[in-house]
Amino acid sequence: MQRPLFVGARAVSKLANWLAITANAAGTLIVLGLILVVNYDVIARGFFHAPFRGAVEVVQFSMVLIVFLQLPDVVRTGRLTRSDGFLTILRMTRPKLADALRRAIDFASAVFMTLVAFAIWPEFVEMFETKDFFGVPGVFTAPWWPIKLAIYLSAVLCTVLFVLKVISRGTPADAQAEHNKTEDPA
Amino acid sequence: MSPIEIGILSVIAIVVLVYLGVYIPIALGLVSFVSILLMRDNFDLAVNLLKIAIGDSVMEYTFATVPLFTFMGLIVSKAGLGADIYQVMNSGFRRVKGGIGMATVGANAVFAAVTGSSIASASVFSKVSVPQMLAFDYNPRFAVGVVAGSSVLGMIIPPSAMLIIYSFVAEQSVGDMFLAGVVPGILLAIAYVIAIFLMGRFTPAYVGGRRMEDGEWMSLLEIADKTLPTLALITAVLGGIYTGWLTPVEAGAAGSLLGLLIAGVRKKLSWRGLWQALLETGHITASILFLITAASIYSRMLGLAGLPNELGDILTETQMSFFWVMVIYVAMMIFLGTLLDTASIILIVVPLFLPLIEPMGLSLVWFGIVTVVGAEIGLLTPPLGISCFVIKATLNDPRISLKDVFVGAFPFALVMLVVLIALIRWPSLSLAILN
Amino acid sequence: TETIKAVVIDGYPARALWVQEFTNFFIPEVDKRLAETGNYKMDWQESYGGSIVKPKGVLEGVKLGLGDIGIVTTIFHSSKLPSQAIAAVTPFVAPDSRAVAKAVDEIAKEFPTMQKEFEAQNQVYLATGVVLDTYQVFSKDPVNSLKDLEGQKVAGAGMNLRYLEGIEGAAGVRGGLTDFYNMLQTGLVDNALLWPEAAKTFKIAEVAPYMLKADLGAVNSKTITVNKDYWDKLPDEVKTALQEVAVAYRDHVAGIAMDRAEASRAAYVESGGTVVEMAPDQRAAWAAAMPNIAVEWAADLDAKGEPGSDMLKAYMAKLEDAGFTPVRDWSAELTQ
Ligand code: NA
Ligand code: NA
Repeated sequence: MQRPLFVGARAVSKLANWLAITANAAGTLIVLGLILVVNYDVIARGFFHAPFRGAVEVVQFSMVLIVFLQLPDVVRTGRLTRSDGFLTILRMTRPKLADALRRAIDFASAVFMTLVAFAIWPEFVEMFETKDFFGVPGVFTAPWWPIKLAIYLSAVLCTVLFVLKVISRGTPADAQAEHNKTEDPA
Repeated sequence: MSPIEIGILSVIAIVVLVYLGVYIPIALGLVSFVSILLMRDNFDLAVNLLKIAIGDSVMEYTFATVPLFTFMGLIVSKAGLGADIYQVMNSGFRRVKGGIGMATVGANAVFAAVTGSSIASASVFSKVSVPQMLAFDYNPRFAVGVVAGSSVLGMIIPPSAMLIIYSFVAEQSVGDMFLAGVVPGILLAIAYVIAIFLMGRFTPAYVGGRRMEDGEWMSLLEIADKTLPTLALITAVLGGIYTGWLTPVEAGAAGSLLGLLIAGVRKKLSWRGLWQALLETGHITASILFLITAASIYSRMLGLAGLPNELGDILTETQMSFFWVMVIYVAMMIFLGTLLDTASIILIVVPLFLPLIEPMGLSLVWFGIVTVVGAEIGLLTPPLGISCFVIKATLNDPRISLKDVFVGAFPFALVMLVVLIALIRWPSLSLAILN
Repeated sequence: TETIKAVVIDGYPARALWVQEFTNFFIPEVDKRLAETGNYKMDWQESYGGSIVKPKGVLEGVKLGLGDIGIVTTIFHSSKLPSQAIAAVTPFVAPDSRAVAKAVDEIAKEFPTMQKEFEAQNQVYLATGVVLDTYQVFSKDPVNSLKDLEGQKVAGAGMNLRYLEGIEGAAGVRGGLTDFYNMLQTGLVDNALLWPEAAKTFKIAEVAPYMLKADLGAVNSKTITVNKDYWDKLPDEVKTALQEVAVAYRDHVAGIAMDRAEASRAAYVESGGTVVEMAPDQRAAWAAAMPNIAVEWAADLDAKGEPGSDMLKAYMAKLEDAGFTPVRDWSAELTQ
């Protein structure tokens, strides 16, 4: 009974993790791209009299991509900002209760990410159909729909990753989270 | 429910959820969502709030400063610039009681000008200065306390992720916030040095340590080699912003590129190291900006509830004085600082207080400095004090417990409070450089 | 008396001219009219300065019902509200907020296009706001002729960057209003396209002491809109009051903008600025050198099945009737 479900979950988990890591790598390259684009604009403008008129849009675009391509990996590695002192103490005295609480939290997180995906999907459809863009025509424009799509896919992937955390027993990702905690932003 | 009730209940709900261990952005987002449902009984409106806040918040041009300055901080740490500055400072302070402590503060202040977070500072200096202090028989609690206390400078002296976050919430210019942070940061560094001097004078046993008699003065060439790269970076980044040559985003990008060059020339950077720094930058950016997005959902929910309007009315009715507003504000930040990280504190309290501060005719730039310094006290206070956690984890030394770090940091948290009061009392400390 | 709640949103702070006048003029005026019969009373909630939406988010905020009434800054939405660029694509016609506000508002009401664009965003058009009298060129060094602008860097934003396209070697550098002072001071740019009130607010005289009076023209940038679902539920008496007051607000704000422009020009001169009148032949040369962005604009709308060309002709005619002679008759070059 349990076995096929378990195998299915394993496969989904593998795929979701692979997607998160791949998206993360893509987002990482965009960080590098961001550094290069802004420097290109500064140099082209300052020394060659030829500013890159789309710099602002490209920066805005890459911010969305960086955040939403990396977010699933942040979720996967358990590095979403939290204050887990209470959970840690509880784990020492009432491990079962602590585990139940952890699952409840991950479930609530999955619900929230579902709401985000639900909110963004119609935006994507609308932008895709109307070919809506931002920027000024004749100066620089970029379409909106890839941004909405990135947010939607990211939210879906985060939902899946949270659900996997709910059904799994203390995952390796959690262990890695403990290990990584010191690098969290303050 | 009245807006005030919604406001109070939502803060309580968020604090309880966060304390239970709910991810902070999720707590902010869910509480806001439910608040709208309770308030307007309209599911679509609640969804629409998510829709607009998520699309809007990340698209901000100035947010590119977050990844750029984060990356720059990571790269210069790898390039060893923090350790270099520390060695130079150390050779200067070596004959003074508590000298290594003072050198740590000084090096932190300089290093702060090229990194955007306190984490980088805390991890760099626990590696270079704690072991040396222990070797010279300093009291371990004092040693870790100095590092914890001075790591805070990383986010007060610009560039600073926290000043960027504040400038977003309060709609102030990032450049102005950066410039306003310079004097308060230096002031805090000086206050730390004075505190260390006084500790050495009146509680020498607590400080411990012996003089370094053996050290040679560094040669000018050596000093130049160890300080010039950092000075070049500071000049490019802060100079670029101050003169207006570069926007903060461009300064961040230029600083990142320069940092890469410095690390490359010094052969301190492998491909793997570069990839890790980029990866880390991405993770930090995503978690900070997701948090900001969630906080923006929350502050818009308060706006929709009409809380700002209501608070403004209360202020005019009760004639609450500046003094009491600030007392409540600082108390709230210190309370939240026990368990929240700095960014979350800023994002939760600022939307609540802006409607009180703005009509009083107070400078929002000044208020930002007060906010960031106040919220950073939480880095040093238990149970959650991120700087202290980082130091404990980086040291990984069984002789030093987390409790030692917190106890050692306590005097420095007090110094911060004193400086905070001075900054509140004399706004020109923050604003003079702008005019 | 029935009480009707209205949430008014703008992302700009309460001190901005058009927001301030919404509070001091629009709201009391509506209240006054409704009080005459006493059937309805409005319960206003004014949420400005990012408390619910950012400046760019007003359009979406009204669309999604986060605000009932909004002051939309239309220049941010060239994709969703293309027809709103009508004044921006027709420079060198009327350096007068009042005339442009009235003409654009009439175009909005006589042709279906602008209202349709807002309807697609689930909102109802009320009136146009014009808050700047005219763009001028502010420079570090004296500029007298078009030649002086050749090969220079000029700060601008949005559509006005395209005004530079005919000037040889001139590079438009985009920037936010708050950056212009620094850009000029550091020599990042030599000139900036600004209107006098902004020049005064940002102390531009300190870094760009020469103003070339090129009179590029006033531009509409604000529109008052109402959420469609909210509008449909409003009683007719309230609808009428809002529509009438919106027109009064349009003229009121444009009038204040003109007064302020005059005072700002005086302040600019007082703080050391010099105003240089651009010679008529030079203005004509500039207008002639530009690509006809008005025709481009009209053709885009025509292609979507909207009466773009007719709107452009009607708009130019309205301004001519109001006594303004265009330096270049943009609509004369229409092929349709
Ligand atoms: Na810093
Ligand atoms: Na704390």
